[in-house]
Amino acid sequence: MINNFSPIREINQRDNYFFKKMISNLPDLVFQLSYSSSGILTFTFFNKAVINYFELTKEQVRNFNITTVFREKIHPDDFDAMLISLQKLNQNQSNWSFEFRAILPSKGLRWFKAVANVEHSDFDTILMTGRMSDITVEKQLEVDLKVSEQRFQFAMEASIKGVWDLNLKTNKVFYSSQSMKMLELEENDVVDFHQKWDDRIHPDDINDYQKEFELHINNQTPYYENVKRMLTKSGKYKWILSRGKVIERDLNGNPLRIIGTHTDITQQKEEEKALKKTLEIINEQNSRLLNFAHIVSHNLNSHTSNFKMLLDLVEEENDQNSIAEIFQYLRTSSNALHQTIEHLKELVDINNNMSLKKEKLNLDSYLNKVLAILGEEINSNKVKIYKKIPKDYSIPFNPSYLESILLNFTTNAIKYSHPDRIPEIYYDLEKENDKFVLKIKDNGLGIDLDRHGEKLFGMYKTFHNNPDARGIGLFITKNQIESMGGKVEVESKKNIGTTFKIFFNNEI
Amino acid sequence: MKFNDVFVVDDDKIFHFIIKKLLVHNNINVTPKFFENGLQAIEGIKTKLNKGENPPDLILLDINMPILDGWQFLEEFKAIKDKLSKEIIIYIVSSSDDSTDKNKAKNYQSEVKNYYLKPMTADDLKEIFSN
Repeated sequence: MINNFSPIREINQRDNYFFKKMISNLPDLVFQLSYSSSGILTFTFFNKAVINYFELTKEQVRNFNITTVFREKIHPDDFDAMLISLQKLNQNQSNWSFEFRAILPSKGLRWFKAVANVEHSDFDTILMTGRMSDITVEKQLEVDLKVSEQRFQFAMEASIKGVWDLNLKTNKVFYSSQSMKMLELEENDVVDFHQKWDDRIHPDDINDYQKEFELHINNQTPYYENVKRMLTKSGKYKWILSRGKVIERDLNGNPLRIIGTHTDITQQKEEEKALKKTLEIINEQNSRLLNFAHIVSHNLNSHTSNFKMLLDLVEEENDQNSIAEIFQYLRTSSNALHQTIEHLKELVDINNNMSLKKEKLNLDSYLNKVLAILGEEINSNKVKIYKKIPKDYSIPFNPSYLESILLNFTTNAIKYSHPDRIPEIYYDLEKENDKFVLKIKDNGLGIDLDRHGEKLFGMYKTFHNNPDARGIGLFITKNQIESMGGKVEVESKKNIGTTFKIFFNNEI
Repeated sequence: MKFNDVFVVDDDKIFHFIIKKLLVHNNINVTPKFFENGLQAIEGIKTKLNKGENPPDLILLDINMPILDGWQFLEEFKAIKDKLSKEIIIYIVSSSDDSTDKNKAKNYQSEVKNYYLKPMTADDLKEIFSN
């Protein structure tokens, strides 16, 4: 506003009482400053407001050397800076503005901003006429904002969490550098389209994510939370926990803005998985142990009770022929017991060898080997073999187990072939839920699974009137497959045929 | 003699021999029919029915057997029970002292009179035949 007047000096020179009085009484801090080329700074004018605001005493005002007084009040760093800024003023500049600190007796440290009109006089002197205002509050806000911004920036960088801020009107999102880092993208804060981020979500996780998001957007959940797999730049998936909350809605309650965090919980997920797996192994081992205890008690019991009963009989028997017969049965029982113990020992060995060495074995060549061993049996029974195993497919397995398993399923298929049909055995390798499955299908007698399903893989269980059936093969086979981390399933229909599915575990 | 027609259902042929001997030693004058699994026994009963003969008086039934085990036999037996002209006394005689088997036997209270654990003694046999 001062600039709209004629220069103050003119007013003074004209001794215009009215203007002088008006300026002196203005609530603004009005001043005039002269700066000579020799570097001398002089306050040529300041109004009452300056005197009051800077808390100048009468003595100080009367003092000829008022400049010294100001010099004392202005922060020394800022005073020097002010001189430098004045020196830099050149002929073409008509405005000067400067911010400085002053230490006042009762107000303490205050920030001021001086704005002045610059006049280059004839005597190598610059004359500045303007006003000062107290900008302490603004300065403080600026400092506070800066501190809080720095704090936020630091928090974002130091945090393992990423921050996102979605504008639902524009569908643009701010992603903090941490969010970008999680996906192995360039570590900068970015603003990007929402869709681009969504495109990285694992297809299996999209539905859940959309559902959770919608629920919160529609105000049905207090906050949004979802765990999903996201594709990183290197093509791997990471587990990301995303949490957020709508922080702004319009008058109709429609969401405008939602802010949230990203957390990489891949490691946690993997540990969870490992823990689950360990638990599964323990449970599996426990049930095997229990099963084994049953097998031992049951199979040994049946032999020992035979011994007891036969010995009871022999004590009461006088007839030599009968005694000889009883001894013959004792011998039979003893042999059976011996064989049972052999089987139990085999079972213990399999279960002990959970960590048995696995080798990469070519399934096709092992199958060919087994079919060659059974060549004579296959020919004499006119068995037709249909094989669809990729030549290059290998599995980590124990060699003797693989041979034993293939041998067992093949002999079973031949042994229980249907008398009215030419036996056919199909070997197919398929993929089910990311796991490779060897299917061995026959057109044989089939098994009534409703009746025998539970016991099919039990020890000493047979289901056909076949004199060769011993009921140990499937039991051992199942144990061998499981000890290699795989599993076996069966599908069968009586008089149609049986399919055994062997699921391989591709982990070494 | 209370029981004249007796079925022994057990896949262990040694047990067949033992039963025969035990009966003779204890002067129990019956000639049991032996079956090696539940299916054979069920068919034995059905054959009798078809011929218009009386069903057996007593069945000694093992649990662990191939083809049809003791439990499966009992299920089949339940289905034809109503066609029988008289009640058949059934005892389970098994080497299984597994509690699951013993508890399972309780589900067949109307079919099974008692559960004998092998080895079977002369006293057990006398008890069965005197009751």
